[in-house]
Amino acid sequence: PEPGRAPEPRAEPPAAVEAPGAVEASGDGEAPGAAKAPEPAAGAAPYPDMAELRSLACDALLQESFYQKKKRPFLYRDQDHTPGPFLTQLVSTLAASLSGRNPLLAASSLDLNPEVNYYWHHGTEVVVHGHRKGRVDPVRFQIDDNPHLQIRVPKQLPEVVPLESDLGDVPVIDHKPSKLPLFKKQYENKVFIGSKVADPCCYGHTQFHLLPDKLKRERFIRERLEDQIEVVYRSNGIASLFAWTAAQAMYQGFWNEADVTRPFVSQAVVTDGKYFAFFCYQLNTLALTAETIKNNPRKNICWGTDSKPLYDVVEDGNVKGFNDEVLLQLVHFLLNRPKEL
Amino acid sequence: VFPGVRQAQWLTKTKLVEGLPPAVQGLVDNPALGLQELEERARHMVSHARLWDTAEVAPRRERYCPMLFENLIHICRLMSGKYPSLSKRMLARNCRIAATWERESILLQVRGLSGILMNSKTPIPPVASKEEILATKEHVLETFYPIAPTIDLQEVNVYQELNDTGQCFRDGYPYSHPHTLFFLESANVRTDRFRPEQLRAKMLMFAFGNALERSKALHGNDPKVLEQPIVVQSIGTDGQLFQFMVFQLNTTDLVSNDGVKNLVWIDSDQNLYERAQCVPEVKKKVVTKPAGISGFQPDTFKKFLALYLHGTV
Repeated sequence: PEPGRAPEPRAEPPAAVEAPGAVEASGDGEAPGAAKAPEPAAGAAPYPDMAELRSLACDALLQESFYQKKKRPFLYRDQDHTPGPFLTQLVSTLAASLSGRNPLLAASSLDLNPEVNYYWHHGTEVVVHGHRKGRVDPVRFQIDDNPHLQIRVPKQLPEVVPLESDLGDVPVIDHKPSKLPLFKKQYENKVFIGSKVADPCCYGHTQFHLLPDKLKRERFIRERLEDQIEVVYRSNGIASLFAWTAAQAMYQGFWNEADVTRPFVSQAVVTDGKYFAFFCYQLNTLALTAETIKNNPRKNICWGTDSKPLYDVVEDGNVKGFNDEVLLQLVHFLLNRPKEL
Repeated sequence: VFPGVRQAQWLTKTKLVEGLPPAVQGLVDNPALGLQELEERARHMVSHARLWDTAEVAPRRERYCPMLFENLIHICRLMSGKYPSLSKRMLARNCRIAATWERESILLQVRGLSGILMNSKTPIPPVASKEEILATKEHVLETFYPIAPTIDLQEVNVYQELNDTGQCFRDGYPYSHPHTLFFLESANVRTDRFRPEQLRAKMLMFAFGNALERSKALHGNDPKVLEQPIVVQSIGTDGQLFQFMVFQLNTTDLVSNDGVKNLVWIDSDQNLYERAQCVPEVKKKVVTKPAGISGFQPDTFKKFLALYLHGTV
């Protein structure tokens, strides 16, 4: 039998593979999970101090790329030298600084290098060899993900669109995922959001993914595959967020025969240290197996932006070309919370 | 190889005071800081690090020790929502330190990875009054005659006094004041970890090294009694037992044994919790030890937080 297994979602995607049941809006849309202007918490100043946040972000960047004396990066592990520590510093200081405005952040749990796993069935295949030849089996999928950083919270993020809305059609791919080549081997069925069920912070807020060295932009440009750059970010966003939201739903007791009664929303930021792409995912349905998908009109949906640079270059202790838009988007993401807070 | 605390005291010309200094103890006891409410979160953080963090049954010390540290620091950092000046802090990991000084004609050097260093834009004000500092003149350093105080230290031929490369950061770094050093003894095998006494000695030596480097950067290399003493804190843990230390550098005149001494306050062997049971222990079909964290000591967490807030709040 050839059940499937997902490699880490940052695999080379020759064609964009959709996580089953997900629809992607066009890449230029803004992530709507965050309000355009941040809603002030009661009694706080109307808008976050962008100058202050910008200086925190620049300090984090300068510390990791300029001020701290470090050894040379290990071979093909460039992302551990500067982008990784920078992302950790950036998120931890920004989240701490914004926790005054977002009570959800103040109750959050920050995971470094957590594991996120999800296992599901989708579609069927006919067994090819062996004593079970000819029988119809569900195709099994497993995602084992390692985000760089994630924020978990005790309350769910609000829904973006209603649960039953009509979101359009999902592209159909006729051949098996293992021909793509993805989901070739499957080892262990695991469902894990980053922490065990007993943890009160059982909903996901935002994940941060770091692209590995072998998927860096320069390589794509060198091999004249510029149109594949955004694909990397998108596939990472969709697959990781699907796995995370679905695992969260399972923790709450839903499964493919007891579909979710409320949408599960989570956010993700995919970056290589300089370029940031933002994604927001709403899980509307877990019912993806061959039997349950028959009369299931619901679709899951992921919104995402293209990748944009946070800054141009770091020179002599100065950050040149800092892009406030990207920082603002990150701030909006971190400030996202249910209406009642 | 590391000496004990008494030996480290002689090497750094330091007088020991048991317990935390009044400035820090005041933060621990201050009800306005809302440390009570954080107790619940601290308990969750311990549970997360020791029990919930992995899909396996129980995380190993190599994972739970740093995770516990990150979780506790996360709670501390979130206080900057309430006290915005706390955001003027920066954590630096894998900092290398090298400091050199002379004690009674022996040249000593502290080198190595000093763990995780938290820097601040503003220095910690001195925790001992001028009278207490002057009173240290009377203090006589404990000697170990006939054992040489440098026993168990590695003797190295130092050809170049590496003081410039001793600094971990380039000039112009805005977070220029070393605030607190964190030492995580996270090796799985017990013999690979420092014992509490050795860990305290290491904390003292590195706090001294960092303070000395800072003083040289501020006041130059001449040995003297400092007008503005430099305070550096240290926290060491193996994931359960915590050592708290506040070090104040009063003098860089380290050659002689007389005169003003440096001061260190040590609060040792503070347990954060008694035991973390991942799977309940069952004997003869009766649960003898339920799963979970037992014997949680909120005071230890309060001290951790107080040391974090010290100097800014």
